[in-house]
Amino acid sequence: MNQELHIVGFRVGRETYGVPITSLHEIVRVPEITAVPDAPDYMEGVINLRGKIVSVIDLRKRLGEKQVSASNRSRILVVEHKGRLCGLIVDSASEVIKIPVSDIEPPPAVFQEGALHCVTGMGKYQGRLIVLLDTNKLLAHENLQSKGDIQETRGAAAGQ
Amino acid sequence: MSDFLDEHGEMQDLFFETAGELLQSLNDCALKLEKHPGETETVREMRRIVHTLKGDAAACGLRELSELAHTLEDALAFEALDQSSLAEVAFTAADVFSSMLNAYHRKSKVPTGNALHKLIKELTPVAAEVKASKKKSKSKAKVSATAVWTEYETLAQQNALKLGKKVYHVTATIDRLCAMPIAARQLLITALNSSGEIIGTRPEKNSVQASPIMELLIATEKSAEQISAKAKIPTVIANVEIHPLGVAEKSKKKRAVAPEVEINPVVEAVAAPTPATVEPEIKSVAAPEAKAQESVQPSSTASENTLRVDAERIDNVLNLVGELIIGKSMLQQALNEFARENPKDAMRGKFADAMAFQARVLNDLQRSVMKVRMVPVEQLFRRFPRMVRDVAKHCGKQVDLLMSGQDTDLDKSLLDAIAEPLTHMVRNSVSHGIESPEERAKLGKAPRGTIHLRSHHQGNQVVVEISDDGRGIDAQRVRAKAVQQNLISADDVTRLTENEALEFIFRPGFSTADEITEISGRGVGLDVVRSVLQRLKGSVEVENRPGQGTTFRLKLPLTLAIIKALLFRVDQRLYAIPLNAVAEISRAREADLHRVDHYEVLQLRNQVLPLIRLGHRPLEQPFSKGSAVSQRIFILVIQMGERKLGLIVDALEGEEELVIKALDDQTVATDLVSGASILGDGRVVLIMNLAAIMERFNKSRPVRTDGSIGLLLSQSEQARLAAQAGGRS
Repeated sequence: MNQELHIVGFRVGRETYGVPITSLHEIVRVPEITAVPDAPDYMEGVINLRGKIVSVIDLRKRLGEKQVSASNRSRILVVEHKGRLCGLIVDSASEVIKIPVSDIEPPPAVFQEGALHCVTGMGKYQGRLIVLLDTNKLLAHENLQSKGDIQETRGAAAGQ
Repeated sequence: MSDFLDEHGEMQDLFFETAGELLQSLNDCALKLEKHPGETETVREMRRIVHTLKGDAAACGLRELSELAHTLEDALAFEALDQSSLAEVAFTAADVFSSMLNAYHRKSKVPTGNALHKLIKELTPVAAEVKASKKKSKSKAKVSATAVWTEYETLAQQNALKLGKKVYHVTATIDRLCAMPIAARQLLITALNSSGEIIGTRPEKNSVQASPIMELLIATEKSAEQISAKAKIPTVIANVEIHPLGVAEKSKKKRAVAPEVEINPVVEAVAAPTPATVEPEIKSVAAPEAKAQESVQPSSTASENTLRVDAERIDNVLNLVGELIIGKSMLQQALNEFARENPKDAMRGKFADAMAFQARVLNDLQRSVMKVRMVPVEQLFRRFPRMVRDVAKHCGKQVDLLMSGQDTDLDKSLLDAIAEPLTHMVRNSVSHGIESPEERAKLGKAPRGTIHLRSHHQGNQVVVEISDDGRGIDAQRVRAKAVQQNLISADDVTRLTENEALEFIFRPGFSTADEITEISGRGVGLDVVRSVLQRLKGSVEVENRPGQGTTFRLKLPLTLAIIKALLFRVDQRLYAIPLNAVAEISRAREADLHRVDHYEVLQLRNQVLPLIRLGHRPLEQPFSKGSAVSQRIFILVIQMGERKLGLIVDALEGEEELVIKALDDQTVATDLVSGASILGDGRVVLIMNLAAIMERFNKSRPVRTDGSIGLLLSQSEQARLAAQAGGRS
């Protein structure tokens, strides 16, 4: 039994993250984004996805990346969350990675609690470490609310 | 027909829907009877309703309900009815039926209809007797028939007899009014299957022939009475005759006809006698089939004209139409571009023609689909007569309910949404508005109060009015209560205009009633009405005529799905508001705006208009000859109920029909935006929620002293601006 997990890899900052290909609806280029007034910081706005209005979250801000700049490699990962589509802005997304299940390790204990519990595991792939995310947990309401905590955690990690 | 029973669930759902309507009609009839007792036509109509209910209930296997309905129907058929109490019985019946239906629906224990039974019995002291005699005459008139059984069936019958079982020849007459005679046969078979082995049936099990009677052979250990009881399904089976069969007699008879039957067993049916020859079956089968269609026709015409469609399906169609409209705008824009680039191309005209045609068809399509969603308000109004009667009786008041404009169409979802608020307000009018008969007599009014429900279109809106000729609202009392409940200080309250004082009745928890009754006075109500209406982008107003009555006016948009909107720009961003909220548009310069008590206001003709700044205020540069100060801006004067408010916007973009699309509430956590729409060029435009803006404005009073921060800025922008302002000061 050599099961493989099909992962869509994307970059946010210097890190490579991955989500299961099954949780992904599609990947689109970043179109014009309409900002929503009074919205939380990570909420980038809404886009028109072929006649559907999809709200977009800047995953870079969500994951605590400090410098956010738009480039033409930026993409929006469209995922389905609780029956609605939702977009996640990432720095780039290109590859589909097949990782044998045996190469995935559970996330370190520090990630289990708090706002980082959306990390489901760490995949080893060609000497790289890929952080596997659960999009549902990523988008869960309370997680979005406690963004401040993430920044703290990231700050602490960066300080090491 | 074999899957008939599998569809029971679906059938029941359908039944619950129609039953609700039937009960409504029953209530209507009862109301009519109460006013004009003894109207035979009404009684007859009532009987038809009860009959239908009975039949449908029986077909769905809801035995208790169908039996009760059966009793009532019989009672109604009886000529010498006690007319005076008939209306009361009908009301009770409607209530009992509806509680039974609810019980079925929840699959809980079905309440017994004993009370109703008793009432019905009182109504018809000798009804039972009449019924019995009627039965007799009916049975004489019925078609007598004897089926012929195949050799196999005869053999099975012999075997059963040998085993010591009893074999009965059951002849069941199917009710003339039963809409599905073929299904009825299946029902009968199912009913009897549990009590014994069915050896054979005529017409055959899977035959599609219509036949007013059904014969079957059953081998059982039960008595003839038990079988007869099982077989009697109200409204489906009109009559049952049972003959026990002996060995000798039957077999002799069978022998005589058996050969013929074997040749063509399917066609051989008693109801539609066809010569049993070796002719091809088709011909003989076709005849009864045509007959069956004929006989079914009258009962099904009514249901053919209306279709029950899941609202979701219509919404889907509407969504697609919305997409088409967006698509049309896209095409139009592409065409315009093409025309600009190739001004001399001959294709231009052709494109334009095709475009115009498409636009026209699309318009019609949109209107038709919208119409599908529209239902007359009568659907809502018709429940009120009964309710008004009950509430009035409960409060010891005499109230007449007048209704007009029932045919006004309204979006179904809107109608459902206002059902509760409207019910509440009608109830309020009866219990609070209308005085008791004595009080009215003292005031020189007619003892019977009148409540008038009106509905009509007004531009792009539907207006529903509830007016009574009661005592009106005592504004002084409202003021006193407001002070008492600490909603306002005693000083301020005297300064309020009458209309402003009346606004208090829409506050949560506010009630002028001193005692709490079962019906109203808990202070929950008008605030809910208002919040519902606001959610629907409608409004509620009150018009008070002290001593003469009150009028509540609900204003609703025609539909929630598509609105006419005004597009404008704020800080380079595009927004929209519903056009019907815009009272006027005014131009101004920054310099024209005044500051009063940290508020920006504009003097518009002779009124002072409070303003809300949506974007950020251009930074003042006191030393240069500020271009910002002389910059032209637009003020959108919006009207919400009695209040007016100006929105400061940078530029106008024009008006457009927008197909509203919902935003993801979870991620877009703001109430300032009520929805979004997509323009022809693919841009997303946000539709502002004016009620929320108004509310923000009211709430911001003590907190936000600096009017320069715009409502529509994102949190980070607001923070940045605040920091800038802080840095400068």
